[in-house]
Amino acid sequence: MIFVILFGCVLTGCSDSNINSSDAMLYWCSNNNDEIQFAKIFTEKWNKNNPNKQIKYQPVPEGRSSEEIILAAVVGNTTPDIYSNMWQGDVEAYAQANVLIALDTLIGFMDFLYERCDSAVIEEIKSLDGHIYQIPWKINPIMLIYNVNLISDLELQGPPKTYSEFFSASQKFQKDFDDDGYVDRWFGYSEVEVTWWQRFFDFYPLYLAASGGAPLVKNNKAVFNNEYAIEVFSFLRELYKKNYFSREKLSARQDVFLSGVTATRFVGPWEIAHAEKFKPEGFEYEYSFMPVPDDHTGPVYTYGDPKNIVIFKTCKDPQAAWDYIKTIIDNEGDLKLLELTNQLPRRRNLNSNSFFNDYFTNNPKMKIFADQSDYVKGTDASPVLKEIFDLISQQYEACVVYGKKSPTEAINDAADAVNLLFLE
Amino acid sequence: MITKRKILPYLLVSPYIVHFILFVAFPVGFSIVLTFHQWNIISPMEYTGLNNYIRLFNDKTFLRSIGNTLIFLVIHIPLQIIFALFLAEILNQKIKLRGAFRGAFFLPVIVSGVVVTILWQQLYGFDTGLLNRLLTGIGLGKIGWLTDPDLAMSSIAIMATWKNVGLYIVLFLVGLQTVPPQYYEAAELEGASHSQKFFKITLPMINPTIFMVVLLSTIGGFSLFIEPYVMTGGGPLNSTISAVLYIYKQGFFYYHMGYAATLGLFFALIILGVVIIQKKFIEKDN
Repeated sequence: MIFVILFGCVLTGCSDSNINSSDAMLYWCSNNNDEIQFAKIFTEKWNKNNPNKQIKYQPVPEGRSSEEIILAAVVGNTTPDIYSNMWQGDVEAYAQANVLIALDTLIGFMDFLYERCDSAVIEEIKSLDGHIYQIPWKINPIMLIYNVNLISDLELQGPPKTYSEFFSASQKFQKDFDDDGYVDRWFGYSEVEVTWWQRFFDFYPLYLAASGGAPLVKNNKAVFNNEYAIEVFSFLRELYKKNYFSREKLSARQDVFLSGVTATRFVGPWEIAHAEKFKPEGFEYEYSFMPVPDDHTGPVYTYGDPKNIVIFKTCKDPQAAWDYIKTIIDNEGDLKLLELTNQLPRRRNLNSNSFFNDYFTNNPKMKIFADQSDYVKGTDASPVLKEIFDLISQQYEACVVYGKKSPTEAINDAADAVNLLFLE
Repeated sequence: MITKRKILPYLLVSPYIVHFILFVAFPVGFSIVLTFHQWNIISPMEYTGLNNYIRLFNDKTFLRSIGNTLIFLVIHIPLQIIFALFLAEILNQKIKLRGAFRGAFFLPVIVSGVVVTILWQQLYGFDTGLLNRLLTGIGLGKIGWLTDPDLAMSSIAIMATWKNVGLYIVLFLVGLQTVPPQYYEAAELEGASHSQKFFKITLPMINPTIFMVVLLSTIGGFSLFIEPYVMTGGGPLNSTISAVLYIYKQGFFYYHMGYAATLGLFFALIILGVVIIQKKFIEKDN
């Protein structure tokens, strides 16, 4: 806590000294080079056209995580006017702490939002008090990446799409090269750590895929104790039980996917840049949808890892801030986001909008993410989302990784614990 | 009339007093106040009476974390004493390169805990770790050092012992060098064996050092955090979640500041109780 308070004090000093003009609004962007470049382009353009409403961009200060920095800024009352990398799951807690501007009260906001997003997305980002505190900006959908050569070596037609196909491919792929009785390569890998956000890369996207995008909680009640969650736990449990997925922490060594130790992983589009940089010669990879239960019908949803834009209450001119934000999320802004960062804007019909055609023609690996983008979900609105994922993760470890509980028992225990959390 | 002579002592102690108020008294007082509140840092504090205390006594994970910490202590302390004393005995003899060996054993103490932990994580790896390579090399099976819930805490205790043994070797060396050599000479004249000399002379004479080592290991062991945080995250199946790690998670993962303060206060009382009991033993022995 002392750290957070001290950090807040440090931020006070930093932010003051970095603003050239005391009237300029402060915009914190993500601190990766591509997004800094993105912020630079749009801020300079805005400042040129709006000499009386200047914006100062600044990458979010370095820290262990941007979430922690934002928290420290809120505590120290040193929040920027605009922040563009807010994880959707954090918004509800900040909304309830009364530190965010209700954007639906700004002129033109709702019209713009209805034009940009489907009603399902608008419903998803709505807070428990009925207001909207975030602008859907970008997504990085979690999908199945696979090694094309290894999959074709298994004489499969393509990547596994259902649980049965996944098991069958896993069985064919699993190998003990040195005959020491231990498996040397696994079909897939997911971190076995119990850390809550690790479930964004296994349980949660698989649950969304199986259930057609069902929520985890609704009206302060767990609603994930259903057949889909049980099916997902059963599926993953079988993968660990048969040693198709390793229980060991493989992330500490050389990239297991690029080195062929695993044939698949559940990852987002960020893996493209990494793979292109480090892949060995002749290595080919593609993306596919998350595996689903054999009897699944309809589109395959996944988790989109949405990062949104918010305006903090410390902003003196929220309407001007919104006018600026509009310029970074219009067609041109979204295209620039794609070109500079390889992250997808969260907008409807991304894959069919001719404005983005050239980009997807030149970046064919991103096309499947665009196809997926109509079927992504973020997180449910809840101020205790991390605890919810933690409780699920505890049961995940007991059931899926170590087989100490049956899937039904584990899901019910997780749901009971979540309901207890809401009662506290 | 207030003289300079009267003010000076207060001036001299004032830096400490200010430090004490700011960094000890206020945080402790504030923590006690927090135990009666729910607070996530960003929202105003909400008075919740004894809710945090009720939750504490029903929190199976916290009780498990205390149990884990005690398991760690039960493995770590005897291991620490046996190894440190054994090595100190050797390093107290006139052997070649004694200074170099003393330095080598002390080296892990000054290396960052995180570095040591990451290093041991590689050694303990199931498929790629050096230890399992050695085991399979001699025809034995692999061991889930960090993935087997029954073994993970022992693995952490072994690592912690390796890391800290140098410090306790130094303490034991000091203790051993305070034993008057005449005692050994007299015993030799009486025909005492090496083990008799060790059990009848050395051990009783270094008893205060042993108690000090137990005390320091206990306090150090209660604050077990870096090792499980980096190596296992508290898993598998919460088998390595220590009390401090659990308190940290409640405070800085979930921002349950009121509850974390309650856990911290309760845990501090447990440590206080253990230290008082140990102190009684020391006083009785003296």
